[in-house]
Amino acid sequence: MKTKNIYKFYFFFGLLFILSACTDDLNVTPKDDDEFLSEAFYAKPTAYKQALAGIYGNLSLTGTTGSGSSNLQGIDAGTSQYVRTLWYLQDLAADEPIWSYENDEGGAVREIQRNTWGPSNTILLGFFSRAMFSVALTNDFLRQSSPEALEARGHTDVLGNDIKAYRAEARLLRALAYYNLMDLFGKAAFVTENDPVGTFQGPQYDRAQLFQFIESELIAIEGDLVAPRQNEYARADKAVAWTILAKIYLNAKVYIGVDKNTECITYSKKVIQSGYQLASNYSLNFLADNDSNEAGRNEIIFATVSDGVVTQNYGATTVIINGEVGSKEGNAAALGAQGWGGALRVRKQFANKFLGGAVPLTDKRNTLITSGRTADIVDVGDRDSGFIITKFKNVTSTGVPGSDPTFVDTDFPMFRLADVYLMFAEAVVRGGTGGTTGEAVAYVNLLRTRASSTLITSSNLNLDFLIDERSRELYWEGHRRQDLIRFGKFTGSTYNWAFKGGSPGGIALPGHFNVYPMPANNLAANPNLTQNPGY
Amino acid sequence: MLLLPLVMFAQQTVKGKVTEAAGGTALPGVGVIIKGTTIGAATDFDGNYILEKVKPTDVLVFSYVGFNTQSVTVGNNTTINIILTESAESLDEVVIIGYGTTTVKDATGSVAAVTAKDFNKGNIVTPASLIQGRVAGVDIVSDGAPGGGSTIRIRGGSSLGASNDPLIVIDGLPISNSTVGGSTSVLSSINPNDIESFSILKDASATAIYGSRASNGVIIITTKKGKQDFQVDVNIKTGYQTLADKIDLFSAAEFRDLIARRIEEGQTGISLAQLGNANTDWQDEIYQESFTSDNSISLSGAVLENLPARLSIGNTQQPGLRKTSKFERTSIALNLNPKFFKDALKVNFNVNASAEKNRFADGVEGTALLFDPTQPVYDPTSPFGGFFEYHTNGEPNNAPRNPVASLMQRKNTSVVERLFGNVEFDYKLFFLPELRAVVNLGYDRSQGDGSNTLSDQSINGYRPKINTPFLGSYSEYTSERKNSLLDSYLAYNKKFENVNIEVTGGYSYQKFEGEDFNTGNTIDPDAESDVNTHPDVVLIGFFGRTNLSFMDKYLLTLSYRRDGTSRFSEANRWGNFPAAALAWKINEEEFLKDSNTLSTLKLRLGWGITGQQDIPASYAYLGRHLTGDAVSQYIFGETAIVVGIPQSRFEAIKWEETTTYNAGLDFGFANDRITGSAEVYLKESKDLLANVAVADGSNFSNAGWQNIGKFTSKGVEFSLGADIVKTADVNWNMNYNINVNETEIDELALGQDLEVGGIAGGTGSRIQVHREGFAPYSYFVFKQLYDTAGNPIEGAYADINQDGISNLSDRYIYKKPNADITMGFQSAIDYRNFDLSFNLRASIGNYMYNNVNSDRAQYNDLQATTALGNAPTSVLESNFVETSNVLISDYFIENASFLKMDNLTFGYTFNKFQKDLSSIHVFGGVQNVFTITNYSGLDPEIYGGIDNTIYPRARTFLMGANIKF
Repeated sequence: MKTKNIYKFYFFFGLLFILSACTDDLNVTPKDDDEFLSEAFYAKPTAYKQALAGIYGNLSLTGTTGSGSSNLQGIDAGTSQYVRTLWYLQDLAADEPIWSYENDEGGAVREIQRNTWGPSNTILLGFFSRAMFSVALTNDFLRQSSPEALEARGHTDVLGNDIKAYRAEARLLRALAYYNLMDLFGKAAFVTENDPVGTFQGPQYDRAQLFQFIESELIAIEGDLVAPRQNEYARADKAVAWTILAKIYLNAKVYIGVDKNTECITYSKKVIQSGYQLASNYSLNFLADNDSNEAGRNEIIFATVSDGVVTQNYGATTVIINGEVGSKEGNAAALGAQGWGGALRVRKQFANKFLGGAVPLTDKRNTLITSGRTADIVDVGDRDSGFIITKFKNVTSTGVPGSDPTFVDTDFPMFRLADVYLMFAEAVVRGGTGGTTGEAVAYVNLLRTRASSTLITSSNLNLDFLIDERSRELYWEGHRRQDLIRFGKFTGSTYNWAFKGGSPGGIALPGHFNVYPMPANNLAANPNLTQNPGY
Repeated sequence: MLLLPLVMFAQQTVKGKVTEAAGGTALPGVGVIIKGTTIGAATDFDGNYILEKVKPTDVLVFSYVGFNTQSVTVGNNTTINIILTESAESLDEVVIIGYGTTTVKDATGSVAAVTAKDFNKGNIVTPASLIQGRVAGVDIVSDGAPGGGSTIRIRGGSSLGASNDPLIVIDGLPISNSTVGGSTSVLSSINPNDIESFSILKDASATAIYGSRASNGVIIITTKKGKQDFQVDVNIKTGYQTLADKIDLFSAAEFRDLIARRIEEGQTGISLAQLGNANTDWQDEIYQESFTSDNSISLSGAVLENLPARLSIGNTQQPGLRKTSKFERTSIALNLNPKFFKDALKVNFNVNASAEKNRFADGVEGTALLFDPTQPVYDPTSPFGGFFEYHTNGEPNNAPRNPVASLMQRKNTSVVERLFGNVEFDYKLFFLPELRAVVNLGYDRSQGDGSNTLSDQSINGYRPKINTPFLGSYSEYTSERKNSLLDSYLAYNKKFENVNIEVTGGYSYQKFEGEDFNTGNTIDPDAESDVNTHPDVVLIGFFGRTNLSFMDKYLLTLSYRRDGTSRFSEANRWGNFPAAALAWKINEEEFLKDSNTLSTLKLRLGWGITGQQDIPASYAYLGRHLTGDAVSQYIFGETAIVVGIPQSRFEAIKWEETTTYNAGLDFGFANDRITGSAEVYLKESKDLLANVAVADGSNFSNAGWQNIGKFTSKGVEFSLGADIVKTADVNWNMNYNINVNETEIDELALGQDLEVGGIAGGTGSRIQVHREGFAPYSYFVFKQLYDTAGNPIEGAYADINQDGISNLSDRYIYKKPNADITMGFQSAIDYRNFDLSFNLRASIGNYMYNNVNSDRAQYNDLQATTALGNAPTSVLESNFVETSNVLISDYFIENASFLKMDNLTFGYTFNKFQKDLSSIHVFGGVQNVFTITNYSGLDPEIYGGIDNTIYPRARTFLMGANIKF
């Protein structure tokens, strides 16, 4: 009996010891079918394309679990979409659209469209973080796809030359992000694949440093990028790199104080000579099938994807098209989206680019709806006032509505040939060499012809004409603020538009508004960053 | 043979009188029972009893609530007078602490116990309501939804980003705060009638034995156990729920006048033609009055002669105020407490099985506030199931949707089955009886199954394209949570001459698992189902505790726990959590020993460090990739590619630590007729776990779970209990407690603000901020400017930073949602067989952001896109026009201090009902009796301080009976 009890005693103590050995259970790993340890994710050679799709996806998607999910914090998930915030900061901040629901993001949208922004504006936080997320994704991809990493996983041969293009495209997307940051904020934290993951605080790069990086990087990857128009749709090729180069050269005076119009002409020409063609109809660029119709095949150089079934997002095209649906027009079916009750309208100064007599009202680029509406907006909350437009549609070229009434199929054309034509023309007017006025007039008239509008002559081709023509051709495509700054019309009072500076009539803006303030939270998280002057 | 009983069992009559030891007064209603039988009697008003046919071998048991039970063998006596001594129960009362027990008298930490007899009465559906307002420093905010959970905060919480929920331990099994899909709350499956006691461990010296999970305090729930004596307890309760209050909106008639006036005043976008002919109060239409019921029966007694057991069955039916919503719970609890090997091995077996049936109703309060009161609920011509909707030939207009239709056309139901329980082996070692080995195995599994159907007649349904019919929607889900526990420890207890030593040491292993499955909308051919398997969370701890008592005057407790969590990397996952406490029973000293005036005086000092790791991120330290779901792909060419996204990674993430200092003084006067305690505490949390910004570009988000900053919570607690009147006929006791608490953020990483507190009125808008030097969740608003008449000027705010620009940089910190002072008061009076009790709760210094007014009480809200919209009548005071001008104004921050009477109950007890020992207590009462507040919204008590419409708390009229036999 006694021995038996001793066994019981040992049993209890034995149990205690066995349990103590269970501390290995603290090493848990993912159990869900959508989550992997990174090394497990990269076990398959197909993972590299998935990761590359993730970097591209960051231009459209906000998270991995649908339109309400976000990789970012401090801003509403849907609002944090790359092109949407870019669009807010480039177009809503200028003379073209106006957003009716001004209290969105706690009034941050109001600050953007009334040019009263400060560092705590969450749209600024959203874009800064979203663009820097592109940088982080690229850096991770470059680490994971390095020759050593591929060798270690035995993937070198399987991937062959594809990985070269993947890596070049990832670097292009990083350069694109830095280009946007340079344009909007004039600075950014500089982080590369050689920096550690975690809490590393990247050094601040100013405009000159970023310019130099973007330029050298795009030139460096040129050889590895696929030839123009030869890559899969939505993937970047050489022409995308050239377009970004043309953009930074055209704006070089703003960025680094040096004119680089000749370089702009050089790279615009490379794009123009790559076989792109204007679509027969202006509107094809902005339809639900703009990924596959004539515009998608021939005119669009780079677009970000949206799809009502597989790429759902509250991004730029979803917002634009739902926003276009009027408060009282009942034009939801025509636009192919159920709409948000009149979220977007245009300012009078933009409407006048078409209505002021510079072009005939029948110019096909004029999509204004004016009937029953006033040009003036007195109260931004009154969605029945102000004209509306119907440029973007979630309807295909054959009139079929998109696959979902909210999430549109329409891709956002970030760069298209028409823009490059106008950049070429402008660089010529600004004194760049390598192109002639005759060529410039011809390119502008290609756009005019397509629009069934009046043609111009070389006497018309000047800067005042070009800034307005860019608006007529490229409105709501995310270029406006940058253009106005380049033309010296954004700050100051040479050009005032409705609600510029906050008042319905528009007032002068101080010069420091040519760059946005560094968003407060991003600034606090990285002490290497400094606030922009004036803020 | 017939004579045998007479010979063998001589029978006699026994009578006597039962008196009280202290005053010698007669005690009426004392139970006198022959042990092992159900035969017995009760004393009359003069304390006399008489029992016939008693055998000399019988043992009489005299029992009375609040007195020590006495047993007397009859022998030859025919008169047995008994003097019952009062049980000094409040002090000898056993208090459950982590991995053991103590008594109130010997407790060294800040431990509050509330037992069944002191529980709140009234409409108690979920367990937390039993102690709402009862314990100083424990703030419980209940939810209005049927079966809804409560938010419990002990001493203001201690975390910023990590959980502030206290650890809840049921019969030794710490439960997870993660609610299974389809359930209303973590405690909703537990029948409050099965709970014997709550022990609330507030300071670290008491909680540190739970180490990593104890920073926010520990609530130990003990369920009722089996007893040797047979008892049946039946509870029947029914209630009638009514709507206590509504938000002031314009009635249909007032609305017509208002629209006409506003058009005259020049408001555009609205017209008289939009008005309808009906008079609808949409708030009345979305709510219902209904009967609730709560019935339970428990059987307690010995089975198989000496196996104490308790079986209880309960059923609760609780329709919600919101139409269609309902909560129903059926629970079975079984407790077996056998002993083996001459009582050397005690086994404690508890199992609780419950089925919870819910029907959830969408929160349509917002639309009910907005919907035009001149429109009808029903429209016979409507293609949408006969409900009025705004449409043009069946194509919906951009306008609000009928809230009644939203409720009636949706069926969102769930069934949650939960099985939890534990078996504890407590073995006294034969060769060293002072040493016990205890093993506790616990298991908790919840399985939720639900479906969500939207009628194809609903205007809110799915349709693939516009201009096509609506198809409704249908989805199903299942959800599972598992929690398994293994605790084992050794406890040694030995009393030497002047010293009592208690040593406990052991090991704890706990694992949490979870999985959810959702079909997605099966009507939508593109929707895909997904299984979401949660990462396991594993917690392992080693713990030890020593209690030393010298001369029964000086008490010392030392405890230590080393905890590991799967949430952190191998280098950071172990945390050490020591604690120490000293207590001095001053009343045991010579100079006080004989004092009856000051009968208890004990000083307690405690210190300890506790940890926190309960964050949503399960393994932030690991490099991981997530693949996108079916709707989050990217398209290359014509091929949709599943994206792979690296996840943010913080290798250095580690424990948040809270150091608590506590000093308490327990006192008792007049033989402890008045008892109470006063405490001061200071809690300092460092390495706060919070989801905060990280330098952009270096990680795979702009924020993540990191250790940042410091946080302090300090306060004073005072509680007092008194038997004010105590006579044979009248007993009146009361309880009062008060907590003054202050929390402040001392340090945030890089001094950055964290904006929090999402509000309605604009996508992504926030109203609160975490900032160094301020209380967490302080309101971050514009300073409203007023005209000379004192009226607010719309959109005019102080230029706080004086930069000449009016923008978001002009926001300032104004007030906070948490109360400075919370108080509770309870009173219970018995007069003969009548009883009357009530509870009061007060909260002072808590502010509320009235999001209902800030988002809705503006004249432009009268235009609800293409329809008319109603607004709160408070628009007449502010005369605000445009929401976006005023949303962030401090005008909407209101003082929400309140005094509430939660419950008023009146009852009568019939003794000797039918049988001598049976009793029936019948009662009636009101739940949510009244609220006194200056807050202009519906209810000043909303956790988090943002009032964006709530599920209103019902006022319930109750009646019921408690039958014992």
